[in-house]
Amino acid sequence: MLSVKNIVKQYANHRALNDVSLEVERGKIFGLLGPNGAGKTSLIRIITQITAPDSGEVTINGQRLNVDHISQIGYLPEERGLYKKMEIGEQVMYLARLKGLSSQEATKRLKYWFEKLEMQTWWNKKVEDLSKGMQQKVQFVATVLHKPELIILDEPFSGFDPVNADIIKNEILELNKQGATFIFSTHRMESVEELCDNIALIHKSKKILDGSVTDIKSTYRNNTYWLEYDGEYDPGNATSIFDVLELKKVLGKTIIKVQLRPQQTANQVLMALLPHVAITRLDEVIPTMNDIFIDKVKNVS
Amino acid sequence: MNKILLIIEREYLSRVKKKSFIIMTLLAPIIIAGFYGLIIYFSIQGVNGTFTKIAVVNENKTLTEKLVPTKNTGYVYVNTPLTQLKSSLKKTNYDYILYIPDFKLDNPTGIQVLGSKQAGLSLSSRISDDIEELIRNQKLKQSGISQADLEKLKSSVDISVKKIGEGGTDEDSSAGASTIIAYVAGILMFMFIMLYGIQVMRGVIEEKTSRIIEVIISSVKPFQLMMGKIIGIALVGLTQFILWILLTTTISAVAVKVFVSEKDLKQNEMVQVGAKKASQVASSTSGPMAGIQKSLTNLPVGKIVVVFLFFFIGGYLFYSALYAAIGSAVDSETETQQFMMPVMMPLFLGYALSLSVVTNDPYGNIAFWLSMIPFTSPIAMMVRLPYGVPDWQLALSMGLLVVGFIGTVWVASKIYRVGILMYGKKTSLKEMVKWFTYKN
Repeated sequence: MLSVKNIVKQYANHRALNDVSLEVERGKIFGLLGPNGAGKTSLIRIITQITAPDSGEVTINGQRLNVDHISQIGYLPEERGLYKKMEIGEQVMYLARLKGLSSQEATKRLKYWFEKLEMQTWWNKKVEDLSKGMQQKVQFVATVLHKPELIILDEPFSGFDPVNADIIKNEILELNKQGATFIFSTHRMESVEELCDNIALIHKSKKILDGSVTDIKSTYRNNTYWLEYDGEYDPGNATSIFDVLELKKVLGKTIIKVQLRPQQTANQVLMALLPHVAITRLDEVIPTMNDIFIDKVKNVS
Repeated sequence: MNKILLIIEREYLSRVKKKSFIIMTLLAPIIIAGFYGLIIYFSIQGVNGTFTKIAVVNENKTLTEKLVPTKNTGYVYVNTPLTQLKSSLKKTNYDYILYIPDFKLDNPTGIQVLGSKQAGLSLSSRISDDIEELIRNQKLKQSGISQADLEKLKSSVDISVKKIGEGGTDEDSSAGASTIIAYVAGILMFMFIMLYGIQVMRGVIEEKTSRIIEVIISSVKPFQLMMGKIIGIALVGLTQFILWILLTTTISAVAVKVFVSEKDLKQNEMVQVGAKKASQVASSTSGPMAGIQKSLTNLPVGKIVVVFLFFFIGGYLFYSALYAAIGSAVDSETETQQFMMPVMMPLFLGYALSLSVVTNDPYGNIAFWLSMIPFTSPIAMMVRLPYGVPDWQLALSMGLLVVGFIGTVWVASKIYRVGILMYGKKTSLKEMVKWFTYKN
């Protein structure tokens, strides 16, 4: 649905984006990852037409980005705020109408959302009287109110308590089910694993990794297993099958982390150990997005 | 266009609904009316309060002329001897005794002012002035000048300034009236630009610091946002100004009815008690005032009002675009100081020069250029206008202001675009230049 091709963005002293390309599929949740200052926000600002690229092209549904697309995009920036002196109801109405909703339609949808997120009593409150988390809920509503096809969320969970973070997460999933495409920029890798279908990792202005979360994780598997057993056995006897990476004894049990030698399988590990000990656990170590992120970012720098 | 209207609506309503706006709108006229009231009150009070009744004991044989009572010193000649009067002063309603002993006119000594309270500086100087005049008149009389001639010595001059029009006809005008119009128009414009132009700047900074700008800017163009803000705040300003004018006149009118009428009557009594001298002063001042009123009616009021509105709004728009640019180039209000100077300078300069150079030489080169350059033209042209400005100059000046405004908005919206998203970073000039050339 969204395709970014060879985007370059140069600021006075540094290049924020260097030949970045990526594809966001319709109906998916796309994670835009990267350390601080990698260029994520610059890319998002280009997609939302706040700034323009120096070269390269962004298309939505095959059309070059233009003013008409503004109403199809919902954007929740990381640097977010509201007019402090305005009442919540007025404020969200204003934002909705700027997106092109009629006041009638906006009122209807706001009622729905305020009820859904239990915010009815906030309508006449001023922004100053709300907590940061409450403000963010309001901002989330303002972002999705005009039913955009593409919703861009920059660090949507920062500032939320776990309960509210969960509420918002469920809303994201529900909107996604209804067909909305999400781009979702964050440092919190656990939310990436929970939500994202695809990711792109940007580091030092360049894209260094992209693809579906499951594919990326499986390519980063490296035949490592956790093994737990009762009984006395020196795993050093089986070094032809695996290397021992870690070894610890907890409550009479031995827990080892092993990496298999090439052409070896988990079955062979079991066969080697079964005669000597009682195995209580064997599971494969699948790298978390967090590990992959740290690994990739460290290797590049 | 629809979005600009929406922004205007928000900028307008959110400001007009503020408590501070309502309080200021209601309070300012009360304060202004209060000031007027106080001034009127004190001036009447002043007249009443300082009225002192003075018993004059004249032992001078040569001084046949008498002191004339004025509205705040009532001289009454008494025949009671000084010593008797001194002991019984408290029983009489005299405040002081003026004792004039017998002296030669060339050497007036021994004059005394006696009272239970010591006479103040202003009273004693007033009395000595009066006696000096008395002696002068006496001397003039002695040298054979009649009372009638003495009256004739007093004169009041009223110059009527006329301009020769195209066909050689006289056109009435008055430098006084023109200057008054220039002052009033200049002050109004200056106040409006200062008060509401700065609100534009604050509005931009507020959006920046509250971080809402990114949400807004992803929905509307910076140009729309800026225009909406400038126009919205202009409407707020106009609303407030109109309300101020209406409320001040109403309150003043009511206040005058309620408070001043009886005081006025008292004052009139005073004037009647006081002698001819006061009324003479009054009639001599009414001369030039009447002249100004007359020439005011002769000025092309309709044209002045139309031109005033044009330059008033044009000048505001021009300057608030500059303020918006400042607001977007800085991070916080404390940082605005360095940018404020270059924007304020032409306004101050325009005001100062308009009221000195232009009023002295309304047709000179400096006046011409000041009224052409958009930075100073709103004020300078208003000052020149009552003196008569050729239509082509007026048209040129208006045209330049419009061009200047569009140019400033264009430049400002470019700066706005860059500056508005630069939090925490100092905007570099190079970056700004890059943005100017950037195509949307």
